[in-house]
Amino acid sequence: MKKFISFALAVFCSTIMLAQTTVTGTVTNSDDGKPISFANVQLKGATTGVYTDDNGKYSIDVPANATLIFSSMGFITQEIPVGNKKVVNVLLHPDAIALDETIVVAYGTVKKGSYSGSAAVVKEDAMKDAPVVSFEQVLAGKAPGVQVASYSGQPGSEVLINIRGFGSFNAGNQPLYVVDGVPATSGDWSSGNISTSAMNFLNPSDVESITILKDAAAASLYGSRASNGVVLITTKRGKTGKLISTFKASAGFSYFAYDNYPLANDAEAEELHRQAWTNYGNDNPSVWRDYGSLENYVKEKVAENYPAKDESKYIYKDWEDVLFRTGVSQTYEYSISGGNDKSKIYASLAYTDQQGVVKIDYLRRFSTTINAESQLSKRFKIGGTVQYSWQYQDGHQDGWASKDNPFFMWKVVFTERWPYAYKADNSLVLEPLNPNFSTVNPIASYEAQVNDAWQNRLLLKGQAEFSFTDWLKVKSILSSDWLYVRDRFGWLYGHPNFYAYSDIGGYMVDNHRNVDRMVSSTTLNFNKVWGKHNLSAMAGWEAERERYYYTSVGKIDFSYLGATESIFGANFDGGYSYSREEGLLSALGSINYDYAAKYYVTGTYRRDGSSRLAPETRWGNFWSVSGSWRFSNENFFDAKWLNDGKLRGSYGTSGTLPSNYFGYMAVYDYGKYGMLGASYPSNIANSGLTWEKNKNWNIGLDATIFDRYTFSVEYFNKKTTDLLLDATIPSTTGFSTTLMNVGAMSNRGWELSLNIDILKKKNWDLSFGVNWSTVKNEVLALSQENEETINTPWIWKEGYAFYQYYTRNYLGVNPENGNPMYAEGSFYKKGDIVDQEVILKNGTVIPEGGTMPKDGYNYAPTSRENASSMILDGKTSIPKGYGGFNVDLRWKDLSFSMAWSYKYGHYIWDEGTEQLANDGYTSYGQNILVSQTDTWRDDNKGGSIPRRVTSNNQGGYYYSSRFLKKGDFLRLKNMTLSYNLPQNFVNKIGLLNARVYVAGSNLLTFSGLDIDPEIQSSGYYYYSMPALRSVTLGLEISF
Amino acid sequence: MKTIYTILVISGISLGMVSCGGFLDKYPTDSVAASKALVTLYDAGVAANGLYTDLKYYTLYGRYFVEMGDMRADNLYPRTLNGTSSTIYTLDYESEANTYFSLWNAYYTTIMKANTLIQNIETLEVTSDSDIATKNDYLGQAYAVRALCYFDIARLYGYPYLYDNGASLGAVPILTPVAPSESRVPRETVAQTYSRILDDLTNALGLLSKEKNLGHFNYWAAKLLQARVFLYKGDYPNAYSAAKEVIADSPYRYVPNTEYLAYWGKEGDDESVLELLVSTEGDIDYDGGFIALYHNLWFDDSNAGAGIIPTKKWRNLFANTPNDVRAQMIAYDDPETGMKKTGEYWLKKFIGNQDRGYTFRRNNPRVLRITEAYLIAAEAGMETNAPDAASFLNIIRKRADPTAQDIPVTLDAIQTERQKEFIGEGHRFFDVMRRGGTITRDMSIDEHDYAGTSAYKSSFSWDYYKVVLPIAKSERSIYPELQQNPGYKD
Repeated sequence: MKKFISFALAVFCSTIMLAQTTVTGTVTNSDDGKPISFANVQLKGATTGVYTDDNGKYSIDVPANATLIFSSMGFITQEIPVGNKKVVNVLLHPDAIALDETIVVAYGTVKKGSYSGSAAVVKEDAMKDAPVVSFEQVLAGKAPGVQVASYSGQPGSEVLINIRGFGSFNAGNQPLYVVDGVPATSGDWSSGNISTSAMNFLNPSDVESITILKDAAAASLYGSRASNGVVLITTKRGKTGKLISTFKASAGFSYFAYDNYPLANDAEAEELHRQAWTNYGNDNPSVWRDYGSLENYVKEKVAENYPAKDESKYIYKDWEDVLFRTGVSQTYEYSISGGNDKSKIYASLAYTDQQGVVKIDYLRRFSTTINAESQLSKRFKIGGTVQYSWQYQDGHQDGWASKDNPFFMWKVVFTERWPYAYKADNSLVLEPLNPNFSTVNPIASYEAQVNDAWQNRLLLKGQAEFSFTDWLKVKSILSSDWLYVRDRFGWLYGHPNFYAYSDIGGYMVDNHRNVDRMVSSTTLNFNKVWGKHNLSAMAGWEAERERYYYTSVGKIDFSYLGATESIFGANFDGGYSYSREEGLLSALGSINYDYAAKYYVTGTYRRDGSSRLAPETRWGNFWSVSGSWRFSNENFFDAKWLNDGKLRGSYGTSGTLPSNYFGYMAVYDYGKYGMLGASYPSNIANSGLTWEKNKNWNIGLDATIFDRYTFSVEYFNKKTTDLLLDATIPSTTGFSTTLMNVGAMSNRGWELSLNIDILKKKNWDLSFGVNWSTVKNEVLALSQENEETINTPWIWKEGYAFYQYYTRNYLGVNPENGNPMYAEGSFYKKGDIVDQEVILKNGTVIPEGGTMPKDGYNYAPTSRENASSMILDGKTSIPKGYGGFNVDLRWKDLSFSMAWSYKYGHYIWDEGTEQLANDGYTSYGQNILVSQTDTWRDDNKGGSIPRRVTSNNQGGYYYSSRFLKKGDFLRLKNMTLSYNLPQNFVNKIGLLNARVYVAGSNLLTFSGLDIDPEIQSSGYYYYSMPALRSVTLGLEISF
Repeated sequence: MKTIYTILVISGISLGMVSCGGFLDKYPTDSVAASKALVTLYDAGVAANGLYTDLKYYTLYGRYFVEMGDMRADNLYPRTLNGTSSTIYTLDYESEANTYFSLWNAYYTTIMKANTLIQNIETLEVTSDSDIATKNDYLGQAYAVRALCYFDIARLYGYPYLYDNGASLGAVPILTPVAPSESRVPRETVAQTYSRILDDLTNALGLLSKEKNLGHFNYWAAKLLQARVFLYKGDYPNAYSAAKEVIADSPYRYVPNTEYLAYWGKEGDDESVLELLVSTEGDIDYDGGFIALYHNLWFDDSNAGAGIIPTKKWRNLFANTPNDVRAQMIAYDDPETGMKKTGEYWLKKFIGNQDRGYTFRRNNPRVLRITEAYLIAAEAGMETNAPDAASFLNIIRKRADPTAQDIPVTLDAIQTERQKEFIGEGHRFFDVMRRGGTITRDMSIDEHDYAGTSAYKSSFSWDYYKVVLPIAKSERSIYPELQQNPGYKD
């Protein structure tokens, strides 16, 4: 094909030229000797030329005494007179400045070197082979300042991105997502029984690059939605050249990535039950009076609560095998890309099928993208995008829903001794054997459970660009983003947990949502160069309207076994529909000036008006100024070792709108009194409600030295004021909270990244990259001075972090009697006369009536009931540092890469241990963590776990700092080995390229936790599905 | 030129999207802007229904208020040592845990609803006599509901009136809708609160209809509430005359012995002067359902049986009167053959609204019954030496036990009768307290495990600081003007 194009071009050229001769040659990179493909070879004075092939070879017909111009992006253009030569081989030298990649930023693109904002870019290469449903999962550890956490390991569940800390109490801490220049619907729109992310619609292979805008200079053009940063997604466009088809297929396998909650074995568990009942009997002699002796009592209680297997009656199975399987995923993708000078097209079609690790979990997705653009005339360019996806997910309830959550059942409920079926007739055991849980054999309950979600999404976009002159153009975009989510949840007729709803014969709720968003923008772009002065400016407006429709139908009393649609429910259980509309109107503009590629100044401005605010307060202005100094381009700075160096700084504002659409308005809710209609005020008016305001500064230094080391250091300080908070107001108003702008919060930190090109040879490439970020978050003020807002296990208080833990402080086991000890926890101010003996953290004892030398808590050990919650300094879920590092190695056609991510200095709230490490609180036959075996006993007075007692009301069931664990981890997120089949072999079989690869994710994890360390940013963990390890094999061919 | 047209068309389309008026003026569709919610008399009627939605909810008469009245005394107690119920039973509340403060919040929410209705109904213009009467009735309901709320706040958070003649701290007076900035008002004394309650009731009585109005205050409900307030205040002559008026002139009649047990499964019976309505469908878990008191009293729930059971002391009240119909409300769960085999006794009073097809979870909370008018008349009559005082007591005694003999009226006899009659209706604690009595709960009688818990107190009377609930610490941190009750630490 390529030869055909060359041939065609040659024929074309020959028709207009006289005295033609053919010149051939190879274009190579002077740095590493590698051939340069798609380099342009052009006859000086002509408008067309040819391109080099994959081996850097070209062939062109030229007239006598011609001069050829060789150019390629990122290299210095060369002109070479042909003379009589028939072969012209060219070495092109990389151009340090031109090497500047173009990055996608707010409302446009920019050369990285001239950019003074803070943005992280993740390219296609970093994500192309990762076995993920959604692109966000690949970002972990890749971009400084960006933290990524999955809600759950269930396929398709939402991935949360957190950029530079937390800026908001109530209005959300998720960034704005912008797809190809258009703000997009994101988040989880389901009812919460199954997590489904709206961003799943994008097949990761369709993504060309992701830019994460972090500071005000980068993000404030998005105004009232930019406070939490902006994620710009750019999908692939057609590339100039012949039409290339690419087919990619991969298949993968997955299972838990971590040894989650290692459990005591059967013998150990029985022994722990025995200890609990023995100690209980010793403490309460009256309980075993009727049993004759303590031994009899213990024997009976253990037999009752941890009954021995009865193989004659029951069949036992390994519950892990019953509930879980090796997950299998398959992905097939086909795409085409190509175009000429005028028109380009990219189109793709992909199918993903993931069978989850839980036997009832799976996900299927079809997705397609078509991007087309055409230069209709010299001045007019038009383009459009169609993106459509269909996704179906079926799964389990995660987290709290303990009756259905397979991970909970496996880890907590189902012991080895829990029978699976009756031997006599092979029927499942459906009695809830543990009085604490109404859990029964899930095989039966899953049959009668409906928990699924559909997503349809269609993005349509048209854009037109008209150039008045070569320095002024206007661009208009009109787009529609339609998301439909349907999800159902039900326990149908025949569900074994039915008796919990004894007066109804099954129920199901079926929810439908449409989110319909239209965005229109028109911008005027100006760009002109006068000598060394370069001025560009943009001005425009944008309007956005979101319509939301919701319908929910609940039915009960299913009389048909196996019914899965609400129509089979005999009775109505509730149903309603409503809609909601939102508008956002904006004017925006920016101006960029640079002088001699040394000094850069940028200003941006946006004015937003939002329907979420009262007419008096709905308009707001957001702006930024930034500048940079590219000192490496100064004449006086003539250091050979410095390839590029830049200092930059920015300051600006952005905002966050209330998540409540009508939070400012006094409204009445309508409900029921008996069977009568009833209304009542449900929101107190607050016409002064406004957005959160974010003031943001950032300074950075970027440099490339010795052609090899690229590093970037930056410091940011982000202060949010007028935080939106459902603030507690005096109850005498008749309301407990109202949405108000209160308080302030700050986030500041360092971000460092370093890339080293260790080797850059013809056959060898080796590079190493590392990044490290810190964030220090602090609540600066709440609505009232000294206010404490407790949201167990966290507290919001001036001077502490957004996720500051507040709980009883566990002080370990009392070696005397094995009881757990907790700090008494009373707080005294400096100078207070203490009303009891107080022990300070450092051990100083202040007798009763003494004076406190400084503010502090009483650390005197006491029992659980007498211990109060206290702020545990430094214990927050916000890490001290996080980041990642990666190694990329290529040897000839073989390439290898790995990406690690790490996080340290934070604590997680492992609430799951209330079940597994409760020191005997629940003496029923449930599983126990293996770490519980080191109990305090008379023969083990150094035991790390308190004395085990049935109904232990002092121990691990109760909230205390025992739930807090150091969350530090290091994880091999992705590793890929890829092999490009030899070119001559590939060409022989008629292909352009062929590649096979094997990719793994979460292959290695180092952490001291009992549970998978990748936990949501709040630090809270309670039995959501942990992360998975997966290995994928793939094949990619292009032709 | 063509391209310029194309640009114009595209810009035109996108501008068109915006130019339709009110692009930024949106209104909710799942709720109604306050400016549009109360414009007709019909709207006012719907808002009047809204006065009762929190009262019937589990935070108040659906559960917590009743538990405050029964479980802090010697009628009911929790079967196991955990949860909110056991904290109420052991009086283990403290200002840090704001659970017990949820009653305060719920009452002020209802007061806000009443204040909003009182303020906004003024602007409704009605002309016909029947419309004026309807409007007055709605306004009267708002006053009466507000009186009930202030009375309950005074009972829960203030000391009994007679303890110190109302000198202790009572409610915060809020008489109009207030913005947060106007809401930080200090508490008044109990005496001041009582005077506001009586003012509201006087207003209400002048406005309310005398017709029966299921689930709503009418003249008679307000009158009976007034009798109760006078009784608590020690104003016996007024209590006596108000109670007698209800007995003599209202359409309410006490339920006869033969229908007594079935009465609890009925809606709108003549016995009920004010009962609150729970829904018959949907949302059963909340609307008088799963977490309502009645569910916890019920034995056959999905878990291991009732969480709340009657004390042995209460059961023993019937030891010598086997013919008392109320003795039949005690059911025994036999350890061998019973439903849950627990060997416990439980209270089978609230059987669910049978004639509306309710299940056990759905009971209309009874706030005022005609029986109470008789017992108020007996007590107030006794204090004022009215000759018919004993007859009011004996009517109720004999209604329950036709074989009973007349007895002379004494405070003990009245209190015993009230204890038997009102179990599960939230009276007992307040009845003992308002007369300065002592609540005794003896572990050896009740066979429960609570004596060992630190908070448990087997005997206390109105001078114990925990007979009033604490003000929540979290509330005081944003509202320091709100005074804490004596004895509680913040």
